[in-house]
Amino acid sequence: MHMISAQHVSKWYSGTERGGVRAVNDVSFEIESGQIVGLLGPNGAGKTTTLRMTTGYLPPSRGSILVAGHDTVTESIEARRAMGYLPEAAPLYPEMRVIDYLKYRASLYGVPTKERTPAISRVLDRCWLTPVARRRVGQLSKGFKQRVGLAGAMLHDPPVLVLDEPTSGLDPTQIRETRTLIRELSHKRTVIVSSHILPEVEKTCDRVLIIARGRLRADGVPEALLAPMRERSAYVAEVPEGSAASARVAVAALTGIDGVEVGAPEGGWVWVKVLPKGGGNDLRELIARSLARAGVVARELRREAPSLEQLFFSIIQAEVPEPIEETARRSVRPGETARSAVVPNEDTARRAVPPGAVVPEEGKNT
Amino acid sequence: MRRAAAIMWREYASFFRIPLGWIVLALFLVVAGVVFAFSAVRPGQPATMRSFFELMWWLLALLAPATSMRLFSEEMRTGTIEPLLTSPVSEFSVVLGKYGASVLFLLTLLGPTLVYVGILEWLSRPDYGPIAAGYLGAVLLGMLYLAVGCLASSLTASQPLAFLGTLFVLFVVEVLAAYVAPISPELLRKLLFALSPSQRLGDFARGLIDTSHVVFFVASSTWLLVVTTVVVQSRRWR
Repeated sequence: MHMISAQHVSKWYSGTERGGVRAVNDVSFEIESGQIVGLLGPNGAGKTTTLRMTTGYLPPSRGSILVAGHDTVTESIEARRAMGYLPEAAPLYPEMRVIDYLKYRASLYGVPTKERTPAISRVLDRCWLTPVARRRVGQLSKGFKQRVGLAGAMLHDPPVLVLDEPTSGLDPTQIRETRTLIRELSHKRTVIVSSHILPEVEKTCDRVLIIARGRLRADGVPEALLAPMRERSAYVAEVPEGSAASARVAVAALTGIDGVEVGAPEGGWVWVKVLPKGGGNDLRELIARSLARAGVVARELRREAPSLEQLFFSIIQAEVPEPIEETARRSVRPGETARSAVVPNEDTARRAVPPGAVVPEEGKNT
Repeated sequence: MRRAAAIMWREYASFFRIPLGWIVLALFLVVAGVVFAFSAVRPGQPATMRSFFELMWWLLALLAPATSMRLFSEEMRTGTIEPLLTSPVSEFSVVLGKYGASVLFLLTLLGPTLVYVGILEWLSRPDYGPIAAGYLGAVLLGMLYLAVGCLASSLTASQPLAFLGTLFVLFVVEVLAAYVAPISPELLRKLLFALSPSQRLGDFARGLIDTSHVVFFVASSTWLLVVTTVVVQSRRWR
């Protein structure tokens, strides 16, 4: 069963389709039980609007969202009951004590009186809040406030958790703890996390949705999304400054090489970056042998690992030549991955349908 | 209703966790005490609280907006409206809870003034009928003013704006009844008098519990709460 199902969701602010600001445009996705999904996008991309529509705080202008099988507009109360929501910046009542706030949340979510105390103890413990349980929220640090918001969201043990920037304002230790907590929570829940901290999402989420200018640009498992980029990722050799020219000539002669770049010297050493054509095998051994034959001693040879950040920026920077996107979309059949359907020799088109993204069926957004 | 009660108790407790609640309480008791001292406890005067209740409208017209201004505006300003409206609680329950808290606070304001009844009892033999009717009128008037304030608060994230908006509406209604009605055609005059809560409070202060007055206060407060609910709900269909 899909715990969250968004179908052709659009949202216009301040007016009608023609006159308003379009925040989200024809977005569709489905999230299974037990998945952690990261929602990525630059500021103003439509992440928060998408999450607000998922929680029922805002209605979609078009399309529908089901949470645990309930429509967020027509069965709003049932949908909200199945969900815990941590809004961005974790808004709280500063004058309340942490424990009173959690009691209040338990009442709002209809947690039975007998179960309230154990439920509150559980979330206090899981969110490392026990030492500050009797402190006023206004006296807490931003990190603690974030945890109080998270504790409030998971208090009624909902099957769906919607977290908008849950690690915002946390220090590195707290970020790691929160990441661990979110992973633990996902064992029996569906979690959708919005974030702009890309390595964070890469480490936490099973799947990412990348949204830009209100449109869903990529949807897939991070590994699958990055695989096509990995084929084209560069090899980097660190060689003595005096051997840079020999190294360049040696590796440029290899087959399967698209280009060679040499970096600025630093402490007598220089980086030689080898750009592969892509699609071939690992070239590290070939490069090492070639350098050895040329008498170049490399103190390091590695392949750059593509990151979600690179994918993200390639998608964001691609913005958005519609005809090319249409071309790319037409060349991919429903259900197959975009890796085999990249428009030839068009970098922009390659980005318009992100590599590895699963192309939805006709009518669905990519 | 349990959820509305949870909202009500949280909101009510919050009045005493912030300086504003204590300031309103102190201001009300000081001014009410002065009004009582100069209007009721006078040698040779009958032991009634009539003048006290007749002057109650302007005291409530100032303090009810101060009480109600934060009900929704504060939640909108701080963003706490978002977790509230995404919890499984109907908008009407939210409005009812918040309004209920402000009415409870009004009762808390009026509670200490019962001491004045004891003072009258100590000094003389007061007629308890008009006093009870006066309290009923004050509560109904306060409930109406708070309902106006609740609606104003749901319309803006700015507390000062909610306060001034409520104050403006309450005074315009009274000014129309006091100054425009006497020079208006009969139909308009009747309408303006009918809409003036303070005119009705006078009857309560005299000990007259007119059913039409009670219906006016209850119906207009209910209508304002329904409008407030629609305003809060409108977020879902905007």
